[in-house]
Amino acid sequence: MDMVCVDMNLLKLDRVSFRYYSDSPLVLNEVSLSVRKGECHCINGPTGSGKSSLLNLIMGCLSRPFDGELHIADGVVLGLVMQDPNVQFIRQSVGAEVAFALENLAVPYDLMVGKVQAALRRVGLYVSLDMPIEQLSLGQKYRLMIAAQLVYEPDILLLDEPWAQLDDTGVEELMSVLRRLKADNVSIVLVEHNPAAFDDVVDQFWKLQDGKLTSGCFESAPVSFTRPGYVPVGKSVLAFEPFEFCFEEQSPLFLCHEHLELFEGEIVALVGDNGAGKSSLLKSIAGIQSNVRALPLAVLGKKPKLGIFGSELGLLLQRPNRQLFENTVLEEMQFSLKRFGLPLDNADRLLSELGLEHLKPHSPHTLSYGQQHLVALASLASLKPKVLLLDDPLAGLDQAFYCRVWQLLVRLSQQGTAILLSSHRQMSHMPVTRSWLLSDGVLQSEQGFMDSVNVG
Amino acid sequence: MQVKGRRKATEYRRATGSGNRCLEGSAAQKSSFVTAASLILVLFLSSAAFFIPDRYLPGLILCDIFLVIHGLSRRGKLGVIVRVFLVQLIITMSLYYLIHGQGQLAQGALAVLRILLAFIPGWWLSVSCRAERIGEVLTWILPVKWAFVIAASIRLLPFMTVELREIYQIQCLRGARITPKFLRDPRNWPELINCVIFPLLIQLLKLSRQVAVAAQLRYFGKNKKPTHWR
Repeated sequence: MDMVCVDMNLLKLDRVSFRYYSDSPLVLNEVSLSVRKGECHCINGPTGSGKSSLLNLIMGCLSRPFDGELHIADGVVLGLVMQDPNVQFIRQSVGAEVAFALENLAVPYDLMVGKVQAALRRVGLYVSLDMPIEQLSLGQKYRLMIAAQLVYEPDILLLDEPWAQLDDTGVEELMSVLRRLKADNVSIVLVEHNPAAFDDVVDQFWKLQDGKLTSGCFESAPVSFTRPGYVPVGKSVLAFEPFEFCFEEQSPLFLCHEHLELFEGEIVALVGDNGAGKSSLLKSIAGIQSNVRALPLAVLGKKPKLGIFGSELGLLLQRPNRQLFENTVLEEMQFSLKRFGLPLDNADRLLSELGLEHLKPHSPHTLSYGQQHLVALASLASLKPKVLLLDDPLAGLDQAFYCRVWQLLVRLSQQGTAILLSSHRQMSHMPVTRSWLLSDGVLQSEQGFMDSVNVG
Repeated sequence: MQVKGRRKATEYRRATGSGNRCLEGSAAQKSSFVTAASLILVLFLSSAAFFIPDRYLPGLILCDIFLVIHGLSRRGKLGVIVRVFLVQLIITMSLYYLIHGQGQLAQGALAVLRILLAFIPGWWLSVSCRAERIGEVLTWILPVKWAFVIAASIRLLPFMTVELREIYQIQCLRGARITPKFLRDPRNWPELINCVIFPLLIQLLKLSRQVAVAAQLRYFGKNKKPTHWR
């Protein structure tokens, strides 16, 4: 490991290799990269390819040494925004969060306010300094994290997978910030599953695969699903009358003026921006959202309440790895089957079908993010529930896992499971039967489906 | 690499002239003193909940009622206190019943009351004082790193409460025998630990690491006498 100063580049990696354990394969294999002033580089690759490790290596956050040379020009300051802004906040208010670095640099308070305000202006965040962070949208939180780095004037800003976290509005806001930063000669290195989203600002694309960094974009097998034009309608499993969705003692978050129903075998996408209320609605359907006004809602003919549906209703919340606790993948899959008295070989069969049979004896905690995601979903799928609610089940997955999740969902729907899944993006190319759109405070069903049903 | 990267930051700090131009407003100083007084009060009241004789408890109850009223006026949520009370009541009374039988239930109720009286001042502090201000006050008597850990832990409490609730609900939906009905049987208690407490601890460890990295990346620990946002 060697660190040398160079004049031409702000940052240069020269044949850098890294592995987490001495007997594990190389995560980075002779990686070389140069970043000059004002350039924007985008590194893409499949889940687990080492993109985040590369950023951590540049920031000096890895606990193990690496081979090769990392050159940082003299005086260059780096800033890193990690994947999930929610886990990076240290303070409770906007001003205090941005000022945290200044406090640590012992900048006097009377100089802090101006610097904090300037950083917030650079990211286009015009909110009160005393505003609680929890009141910001996810897009605003992401920009706040960027401001928390910009306040100490970094020369290079590193961003770890911003696209998956943000809705389209959030991405657009981020794009304007990145354009401004480039214009100010700040260099940007971002790692991303979906590099196309940042086409406008990126100067150089890199793909990281099997430890090798090469110029270009990672291309996975194209996703091809047939969008069902007509779905044979089974029984209704979920029905809403027109309602107002509001938390106790608050004004309505959104309204629904129409009668909504979900039928056996359907896959319905609940689409809306971050913070629109999708997760809360799904939890209400499952009967676990306690602080909302009662909804005129029937699920499988019953008023939702925790525990009354047994294996007939499954809910996958965000960050599904939170539910994993058993010693092996097989035990994890069999947990619910045991509790609901269902055949245990459902788990074996499903793992084989998903190509995860080799993971059976592994601890769920040693799996990759995508694998954990798939195991958590499969543990619900093995129950063959009548209603499956999925909260943003595709977040953070690369295309390979994305396809496997979809294959599993399509198969479940063919077996009669009604699936309602939330997303902050439209799913026009995915095999959803129809969408429920949640925008501008109104929830409505996409037109056309009921017409096709009636014609059929 | 880190050292070179930090050099500019150090020069930047020098350029801003730390130390000499530290003109903190009197209002901010007053706020720090109020937080310090609050901390001492909380320490006193919470300790008193465990140590004072029974005959003085009514006085302590009165103090805690004032704190609850004040906390509610600062947008604190009563639901937190009610939930803690109910959980304590169920667990403590069940244990007393199992260990001592029916005769000692009044003692059990008293223990629940004392735990609640010890909890309320902490709840009030988290509602009425900002974590960063508590952190600043703690730096008067503790090393900066310890003060940061305590302040960060207070900030993480609401987050971990949400995590605990969500993990519990997910596992209930997966069929875990941890609903109140199942938990009446102590044989199901290990399931609560396995499928809720362990995953929660794993989340807590992950979160602690991420917060630590986020703090280090923003120069935490680089200066023995950091300044404070007001």
